[in-house]
Amino acid sequence: MSFWDTVTGNDLSRDWKAFETRAQALPDDYRAAWEQIKGNLFAYGDFSGRNLTPVADTALGLLEESSAEGQSVQEVLGDDIPGFCAALAGGNGAHTYRDRWREQLNTTVARKLARLGG
Amino acid sequence: MGIHDIIEGKRHWRAHVARVKALPPDYRIVYNEMQKYLFKVGPVDLADGNLLAGIVDFFAEGAAAGKSVTQLIGTDVAAFADGLIKDSRTYAELYQESLRAKR
Amino acid sequence: MEDLTEMLKGTLEGCVLEIIGGEETYGYAITRRLNDLGFTDVIDGTVYTILVRLERNGLVQVTKRPSEVGPPRKFYALNDAGRKELATFWAKWEYVSSRIDRLKEGGR
Repeated sequence: MSFWDTVTGNDLSRDWKAFETRAQALPDDYRAAWEQIKGNLFAYGDFSGRNLTPVADTALGLLEESSAEGQSVQEVLGDDIPGFCAALAGGNGAHTYRDRWREQLNTTVARKLARLGG
Repeated sequence: MGIHDIIEGKRHWRAHVARVKALPPDYRIVYNEMQKYLFKVGPVDLADGNLLAGIVDFFAEGAAAGKSVTQLIGTDVAAFADGLIKDSRTYAELYQESLRAKR
Repeated sequence: MEDLTEMLKGTLEGCVLEIIGGEETYGYAITRRLNDLGFTDVIDGTVYTILVRLERNGLVQVTKRPSEVGPPRKFYALNDAGRKELATFWAKWEYVSSRIDRLKEGGR
């Protein structure tokens, strides 16, 4: 993967290697999503890797958390991984995506609370 | 550095998860969905773990007072979550700033 | 009165500072105080988000104390920076409310 090549060999490779080790521990569908996320983050072009490291860490952390909870990757990310990455990196469309997360949060909570019968 | 430290690096995380599990079901639902939202938004303050631990404290107190989670924070969970991180910068913002600095 | 949420935005933080400035207190007591004052729409969650921000911005001193019911409670007191912020809030409030009063009375 070109993204990986970009960062390998510089002083950041240790962070990214650690990410890869963590990604290996994920279920298959999650690992595939991680590959896609990396590819999409790379589209943000002008970056050395350093400033994007925490963003990638956030994404990986979310995948780890959600897979541990037994959710499907589809449930967590939906279909729009490029949009998800835009929002993570704060690029164009980040605001609409965050609005969608906001809405998703409220509807999911409402649905699950209703199911509780409360 | 990031979320990873909260999840793996700190022993506290397991204790934290146990405290979440001890909450009543309605609180647990709201906490878990909120945490997922906060992970996505990525406020820098999330990394030290105090924000999340504080929410559990607050929820535990509300539950002990016999309130339901919606009595405590209303139904607009997103507004509550955003209120908590209103003046905390996000990793996305830091990233965008670093791009601007380079131009 | 209901439906004050939009109008209260920006002043609620000052109200919370004022309540804390009166005496060291905790979240639920602050909400109750605001409700008793007639701000019935204010809920615990809103007060909590304000307290989190006050703490993050270094305006309050926080002490955990055991409570008779449930987990320990966080008590809040103003520090010097908080007192300064409170004074600024009241100065701004005086300014805004005096101008609005003048507007209402038809003066300029």
